Amino acid sequence: MSVRNREWPVALALAPALILILAPFVWLVVSSFKTEAEIGQADPFTWPADLMWRNYLDAWQIGGFGGLVGNSLINLIGVVLLSLITCAPAGYALAKIRFPGREWLFYAFILGLTVPVQAIVIPLYQVLFGLNLINTLTGIVLVQVSNGIPFGIFLMRSFFIGVPDDLIEAAKIDGASHLQILTKVFLPISTPAVQALVIISALSTWNDFFLPLIVLISPEVQTLPLGLVRFASTYASDYRLVFSGTVISFLPIILLYILMQRRFTEGLTQGAIKG
Amino acid sequence: MVIHQTPGSKVVAPLRDAPAVAGHTGGISARMSERRTTGAASTAGSSAGDARTALWLMAPALALYATFTLLPIAATFWLSFNSSAGFNTSASFVGFDNYAKAAQDPIVWKSLVHTFLWLAYHVVMAGGLGLLLALAVSRLRITQVFFRTAFFLPHLVSLAVVGVIWANIYDPFFGLLNTALTRIGLGAFTQGWLSDPALVLFSVNVASSWQGFGLYMLLFIAGLQNIDRSLYDAAEVDGANAFQKLIYVTLPGLREVTTFVVSLAMINGLKGFATVFVMTNGGPFYQSELITTYIYRLAFQSQNHGLAAVLCILLSLLAITITILFNRWRARLSQ
Repeated sequence: MSVRNREWPVALALAPALILILAPFVWLVVSSFKTEAEIGQADPFTWPADLMWRNYLDAWQIGGFGGLVGNSLINLIGVVLLSLITCAPAGYALAKIRFPGREWLFYAFILGLTVPVQAIVIPLYQVLFGLNLINTLTGIVLVQVSNGIPFGIFLMRSFFIGVPDDLIEAAKIDGASHLQILTKVFLPISTPAVQALVIISALSTWNDFFLPLIVLISPEVQTLPLGLVRFASTYASDYRLVFSGTVISFLPIILLYILMQRRFTEGLTQGAIKG
Repeated sequence: MVIHQTPGSKVVAPLRDAPAVAGHTGGISARMSERRTTGAASTAGSSAGDARTALWLMAPALALYATFTLLPIAATFWLSFNSSAGFNTSASFVGFDNYAKAAQDPIVWKSLVHTFLWLAYHVVMAGGLGLLLALAVSRLRITQVFFRTAFFLPHLVSLAVVGVIWANIYDPFFGLLNTALTRIGLGAFTQGWLSDPALVLFSVNVASSWQGFGLYMLLFIAGLQNIDRSLYDAAEVDGANAFQKLIYVTLPGLREVTTFVVSLAMINGLKGFATVFVMTNGGPFYQSELITTYIYRLAFQSQNHGLAAVLCILLSLLAITITILFNRWRARLSQ
């Protein structure tokens, strides 16, 4: 089979699809540099006469994007760390230790994997309210970690199950405890699973909207997607602000992905396949 | 070796050996069978000490999970049998009253119909686009990474941000869609994409599907890579053309991934909320109201917790039903 003779026809055929699918990004980036008058001409095929960097400056200040990005980062780091701390030991216990009640726990986690978070939102709000966690980043971190725990545990467990028991026996003879076996033997050889868990929990946290909408009420604690939605509805008629604010919201993650696309792709497919 | 013999384990056991793409929603029976047949995965002999260690290792996860997931699941069930006028008010047992009220509420039925339509749109548009692009992209060698990366970009964007992006694209006067149509001489096709009651659900779903197809494409690409190369060689020896290879080798080889993607797309569709909330908030005239957005409205705006809880139960039952049906289907496929 010759490779070359079908590479370029296929690539050429895909080009229109590529243009259509990426058009929203290109249009927003180009429009975000236009003046209010240029946007008013309603012509998507023209370039701005001058690049209006001012739009970005105004949007950043008026929308308080610095604070939003900061909150989103705290949120993300908290969820990723706490997910690893909770899911790795639990996944290890489910994979490698036999104990009474394991069957029950298994089904309890499957239940949480299946029930959508929107379906438990009323009591969830009440629990958070009772614990004084409404409107706090601590609250959103705990809820998001709990929401991701079934997936994280099954991901770690399915990876750990493949590790030979001989390794455990050998480490036990050396006098290692289960916790030491987990941290010194299992985690170092489980990079793909850890990588998948980090990428999936980071991406879903960074992009989450529903839980922050419930938990984070005042602007000072809000995360990026929630803050952008508030900003875009407040300044709905000020297109240059909405456009540049929207670009601020999607550009960082896209640049990060382009830089690390191999790790992202590996992590996401591994996660979907093994989870 | 300890094998947990459970009724039905024979039925699902073959899944284990299939190169299944098991995941989030679809892999549950695969997981269960794997656990049953590899009972020996756990180190033999459980002692009291091991049980205690296991409990300690599970404790952090369990504490969070019990507080923020299991308790709310149980409480939702309880709420659906009680009347409550909102947060911080006392509730009283009313039996199946809330269920009866839900059955009589026309918006409940509307949101249910819209949710099913929404699922169908998403499976066809996002799943279909994912499959088509995967078939094309996987033929590429030199430019594959470029196209795969580029097509995946929309999936990285938060659905809420996607909502803001597409609300602007659909803007009747300054949005990309209507202005581009006008400029290329197709002004007759301009629409009030989000204000036309007959069009709104579809328009919003295009935004969600634009965000969703990238992951399905990656899964289909992974599935294509798992198809045995020798099958294509054999087909070629038999004189099959490209179309016949697609019909007799590629598509059958993708059956398992396809059931997984369809179930994932259905579950994702069921959870759809952000784009609708941001772009239309269920309007106009409830024409884009989904179960999820109606739950939010009932719980946090009209404070009708009893009715909201009934919808929560309905949503959970739909998710559980879809998951079980697809696991059965997958199990039958791999027999």
